[in-house]
Amino acid sequence: MATPTVSTPVKTHHGIFSSKTAGGRMPLTPSPRMRAGSMTSNHSSPFTPPRQQEGAKDNGKSVYGGNLSSYFAKSMSRATRNYRESPKSNIARIRKSPKHLEMGVSEWALAGTGPSASQSPSSKERVRKEVPTRTTRSGKTTVRIAHNAGDRFIPNRTASEGLATAGTAKPEESQRSKSNGNEGSTVLASAASAFDIGGRGTEDDITAALENLGLEDSETSSTSSSSSYTRPAPDAVAYESSLADACGVNLNTRILAFKPPPPESSKPIDLRAQYNRPLRPAKSKSAQFRRRVQTAPERVLDAPGLLDDYYLNLLDWSSGNQVAIGLERNVYVWSADTGTVSCLLESSPDTYISSVKWSGDGAYVGVGLGTGEVQIWDVEEGTKLRSMFGHDSRVGVMGWSKHTLSTGARSGLVFNHDVRIAQHKVAELVSHTSEVCGLEWRPDGAQLATGGNDNLVNIWDARSLSAPKFTKTNHRAAVKALSWCPWQLNLLATGGGSYDRHIHFWNTTTGARTNSIDTGSQVTSLRWSNHYREIVSSSGFPDNSLSIWSYPTLVRNIEIPAHETRVLHSCLSPDGQLLATAAADESLKFWKVFERKPGTSASASREGGVGSKAQMTKSMTIR
Amino acid sequence: MSATKDKSKVHKLSLKGSSKLVAEFFEYSINSILFQRGVYPPEDFTTVKKYGLNMLITSDDQVKAYIKKIMSQLNKWMMGGKISKLVVVITDKETGEHVERWQFDVQIFGKHSKSTKSRASGDKENAGPENADTQASVEKTEKEIQEEIQAIFRQITASVTFLPVLDGDCTFNVLVYADADSEVPVEWGDSDAKEIKNAEKVQLRSFSTNNHRVETLVSYRLAD
Repeated sequence: MATPTVSTPVKTHHGIFSSKTAGGRMPLTPSPRMRAGSMTSNHSSPFTPPRQQEGAKDNGKSVYGGNLSSYFAKSMSRATRNYRESPKSNIARIRKSPKHLEMGVSEWALAGTGPSASQSPSSKERVRKEVPTRTTRSGKTTVRIAHNAGDRFIPNRTASEGLATAGTAKPEESQRSKSNGNEGSTVLASAASAFDIGGRGTEDDITAALENLGLEDSETSSTSSSSSYTRPAPDAVAYESSLADACGVNLNTRILAFKPPPPESSKPIDLRAQYNRPLRPAKSKSAQFRRRVQTAPERVLDAPGLLDDYYLNLLDWSSGNQVAIGLERNVYVWSADTGTVSCLLESSPDTYISSVKWSGDGAYVGVGLGTGEVQIWDVEEGTKLRSMFGHDSRVGVMGWSKHTLSTGARSGLVFNHDVRIAQHKVAELVSHTSEVCGLEWRPDGAQLATGGNDNLVNIWDARSLSAPKFTKTNHRAAVKALSWCPWQLNLLATGGGSYDRHIHFWNTTTGARTNSIDTGSQVTSLRWSNHYREIVSSSGFPDNSLSIWSYPTLVRNIEIPAHETRVLHSCLSPDGQLLATAAADESLKFWKVFERKPGTSASASREGGVGSKAQMTKSMTIR
Repeated sequence: MSATKDKSKVHKLSLKGSSKLVAEFFEYSINSILFQRGVYPPEDFTTVKKYGLNMLITSDDQVKAYIKKIMSQLNKWMMGGKISKLVVVITDKETGEHVERWQFDVQIFGKHSKSTKSRASGDKENAGPENADTQASVEKTEKEIQEEIQAIFRQITASVTFLPVLDGDCTFNVLVYADADSEVPVEWGDSDAKEIKNAEKVQLRSFSTNNHRVETLVSYRLAD
């Protein structure tokens, strides 16, 4: 509230007083216009002009209402000082920034030229004009002082500089001035000049609040009045402010930093990649390749008594669109076309079904038993064609290649059986030292991949079965999941067990590992899509899910929470669209994971449809 | 007297709203910069509708909490009108070199006009009582302000085209130019300006409310 009351009258009286004062001063001081100009150039302060006007008003007031005798007393002190100081002020000018002093010097040159300046009437007249300001100032200790200090700060400041120099550099001279009997007024004068400096210092700050100005002034006044000749205090402020001014630094602001370190970025970022991304990054980067995958099963069947054993292979889907599943001692065949279920066989009570595998033509099913016996059944007739012996431990995995049935047993041995001849065992593949649980022929029958509980992947050349072509030791757990890529013959995908959790991709020509995925859970089966560049994996603990991966980008397109317990087996329908999964929760689920786009016909798919396979019925004769 | 009191009340309230708006702008600016300049991976950000734009804000809990801490203090300072600059400095983690500096200059009209008034009175002899000044200032609609802010964010987003690519890991710091008499909590400490040597500077757009004016400036290290 103080500000408006002070400033309002200024507005109205401003014109009168400024002109009057200027007129009265004209002979001694530089023209107010010039002063104002130089002031603004010095400090570039927007405050300066109004301040000066205010001061002019105050000055005028004191001229009218002041005490003349006191003026004279002051005038004496002023005059003597001026006389002695005039040369010093020149020194001071050199010390200080020349800009600041230029006009001040000119004033003092006028005031202090004659050695007997105090006696000359002209100087007296000048002093009279000058001194009232001092009186007002020294007499008052309120905020008003600040305003007064502002009004005529240019001549006053120069004076104070002179004083300060006199006080410090030449103490004997100031002693002399004291001997003149003007001690008190000298103190007052210096105190006043201190105000001025303080005032100027703060005025330099464009944003300085008026209250601050007042506060700082009173502080300076108290220090300077207690020790009248301490030069450093006011000078330091002036120096600091002028320095700050020159550097463009605002003394009244602090730069504060939020000290706690920002959280670390979770991973390094390549901005270049970021610039090319769409604003809303979807799960898969390539939106045009994204397709919808049904996350709900097409059909759910009960599979009571399904053994929860990772090392068995109890589910297979024939080219004739029939699903065979081994449930404890029985093998059931479910026709996907009609939806009918028939029990194909029941084993003897002392054993159980450990593997089932359809022959390529979909007419026969091979059945491995816990005793090591391998049976071949004609499904249409529902009769057993033959039994093949040789393994002395359970046969956990089988694979057909035309008329050859390969069987892998717990012993680690793999036998090749030619099912057409009586002496069926045509080859013994010895490499695995622990149970064989994965076995897959390449579609063209040139290579055989086997995986075992010894964490090995063996790739066999069909022409030389004495030793594996490659033995891969990269997996750190049993390898059950094996799948040959339908569109790139020498590409094999293998998945490891719960300690490994990786899918590795192999070039079986060179034996090189081309890619790897850490799936995060036990890989129980792998199936390549026939018509998408994708591979589906089924998982055991902890996810129990199906994951569809793009190849070769290895981006997980979707993860379907499939079962409540680990998915044990999976197989693709002959048209390649449906995936059947059997899990330890004793359910068989069908998923439309590779649904064909409406436009593409069945014949367009690589493997061919149901019809083409059906024509292969009974392409071989088993004796 | 009562009239001026009322006026000052209205003035204060709008100042509060304006401070809030500016603080919010800062929050989104920091988030945008962190996203656009790749201080944190893009998948840590989610889009929200704001200022008629899709704004990206961090969804990382730690970063969120960090920004929240900054903002809570910033809000207090803004309300008190203590802030003249907010600076986001991006620093190379390896070299410790400041590579980019986003500076938001805040002008508070209330503070400014208080001092201008006494000055302006010299020129405008017939300037009426105090409140004439506030009335004279053009009232901006929220929509206009929002459009101005929107333009700034568009510019920040577009600035990635001329700003040099930031190589390697970067981190960021928030600086505030506060009045010397501001209350400073322990988390905040005096700092240097963290200026960039040989910086190229680009002045972006500004926006103003009835009480604040915010100018945006980005300075970055010139390519060697």
